[in-house]
Amino acid sequence: MEHVDHILIVDDDREIRELVGNYLKKSGLRTSIVADGRQMRAFLEANSVDLIVLDIMMPGDDGLLLCRELRAGKHRNTPVLMLTARNDETDRIIGLEMGADDYLTKPFSARELLARINAVLRRTRMLPPNLTISESSRMLAFGQWRLDTTARHLLDSEGTLVALSGAEYRLLRVFLDHPQRVLSREQLLNLTQGREADIFDRSIDLLVSRLRQRLGDDAREPSCIKTVRSEGYVFSLAVQLLESPA
Amino acid sequence: MKWPRTLASRLALIFFTGLVLAYGLSFSLQAYERYISSRSMMLSNLEQDVVTSVAILDRLPAAERAAWLPRLERRTYRYRLDEGLQGSAMPSTDPPMAAESIVKAIGAQYPLTFQDIPGPNAHFQAHLRLADGAPLTIDVTPAPVPVARWLPLVLLIQLAVLLFCTWLAVRLAIGPLTRLVQAVDTLDPDKPGVLLDESGPREVKYAAVAFNALQARIAAYLKERMQLLAAISHDLQTPITRMKLRVEVMDDSVEKDKLWHDLDAMEHLVREGVAYARSMDINTEAPCRINLDAFLDSVVFDYQDSGAQVERQGATGSLLETRPHALRRVLVNLVDNALKFAGKAQLEVSRERGKTLIRVLDEGPGIPADELDEVLKPFYRVESSRNRSTGGTGLGLAIAQQLTQAMGGRLTLSNRKSGGLCAQIEL
Repeated sequence: MEHVDHILIVDDDREIRELVGNYLKKSGLRTSIVADGRQMRAFLEANSVDLIVLDIMMPGDDGLLLCRELRAGKHRNTPVLMLTARNDETDRIIGLEMGADDYLTKPFSARELLARINAVLRRTRMLPPNLTISESSRMLAFGQWRLDTTARHLLDSEGTLVALSGAEYRLLRVFLDHPQRVLSREQLLNLTQGREADIFDRSIDLLVSRLRQRLGDDAREPSCIKTVRSEGYVFSLAVQLLESPA
Repeated sequence: MKWPRTLASRLALIFFTGLVLAYGLSFSLQAYERYISSRSMMLSNLEQDVVTSVAILDRLPAAERAAWLPRLERRTYRYRLDEGLQGSAMPSTDPPMAAESIVKAIGAQYPLTFQDIPGPNAHFQAHLRLADGAPLTIDVTPAPVPVARWLPLVLLIQLAVLLFCTWLAVRLAIGPLTRLVQAVDTLDPDKPGVLLDESGPREVKYAAVAFNALQARIAAYLKERMQLLAAISHDLQTPITRMKLRVEVMDDSVEKDKLWHDLDAMEHLVREGVAYARSMDINTEAPCRINLDAFLDSVVFDYQDSGAQVERQGATGSLLETRPHALRRVLVNLVDNALKFAGKAQLEVSRERGKTLIRVLDEGPGIPADELDEVLKPFYRVESSRNRSTGGTGLGLAIAQQLTQAMGGRLTLSNRKSGGLCAQIEL
């Protein structure tokens, strides 16, 4: 029998969790709904799920706490998608810091949620990352650079912040998650076309050259991202997880 | 004469004029008094002296008289044993007082004739004949009572003291007022206010305390307003989410589209409301050093990747100490605005006089000059061309303004000569 993805929705608002559950069910997913952390723990004891949709603002144990708990226990590999009622950069950062794979701000549309769920599932399945980003180690180091995976920017050797566009960050992140591994353009396209799907008009090649420029990598003699003729690209530097400096 | 404009100069003028007048009056009164008394003393001296001198000369044998002359000579008059100089007859009206005194002293014994001797130092002579018929001339050079050499110096010192005291008093009076004005001038409810020093004279202390209290009250009201906005916006998010989810499962219809559109508008307003409320306290974000060119690139590329026509011009190659999330939000709001009204936007960056200037340029309709300041206020929307179908919350620019200020920068809007709007961020 074909595998149907099982999504667990944790939200204290009954209407929202039911509406979301029904929508996802209609879209061909298997869904279960629970109202709080206690129920979530009980449910996870008895069932296995493919992805958890977790509301941040809940009475009792809030989403951030639950997310941290999940990341520390046996469900550390279950993708988590956070729902936040606040619209703020810091919430996103905190959410991602706590180990969520993605987040969505309320009010959201069910269609958007479905797209995100599919993107996260695809991402985690296609190529599981070599390194697990966790709360305490959110910095990836390579060459003279450090990548802050929550604030999504680069830091150079002197600590100067070098911003990345969304597409650049996603591409770099794919490279860093799979270093020294040849990635085809299709793979790159698939892995990087995140939620905004903004990569369609821009070819991967253009994005790679932009990223090289950002990293100060010579296009003819690249040291970070090397071109593999007729195959794709490979990130040739070693990548290390750093303990958080903060 | 024009009344001086500043309070300091007015006060100084009043004080100084008053003091100088009062002082001058009392000084002249004293001087006059001294003059009168010393004159009457001099004249009575003169009278006695002349009586004695003339009597002595009269008694002396003619041969000895010349030897006595130096002894009888005084500062303002001397005796001569000749006919004297030829001058003009003294007018009988208004004769010098010394002449009257001489007449009073010896006029009864000797017939006197007075002659004015004109010249550079005018004086007069009294001619008479002694008992033996020998001529005697009293030569009088009226001179004022001598003044001590140090007197002008003392006067000057006193004037200087007056001036200094005036300056001190005015400064003391104006200082607190100036400080208060400065504090009111720089009063910015969005920033933690600078508290006035609550010390000094009682009135000054009261004013400072009152000002500090006023400042705290304004801040509290503003905070309350923001909390209200944030709370309402925040609590609307859940119902809007429910509504959106419900509308999504409805069958396709025109009504569904309209509802969807309305919900989108509400959602947008709520998000902007929260963002505006939050823009009041961006101090949560720690400032860090950023590579400005890369930063602007990332903003521009994000737009280009989503198909918007945004371009960047100029480069500074500089590092900037700033709060990147806040700056991004400002730029995004300005660029969104440009895209909404002009369809295209240009980001221009330059460094001028030690400041970093980032301009967001468009070729849209611009904003009427008298509304350029207004649009930075929350919920203000330009009526004419701007609100056709574009809607908008009227918060985008207010947020940008708020954040720029909080970053210690300045946001100014202007219309470009070639048409379109220029929003300039000065950091």
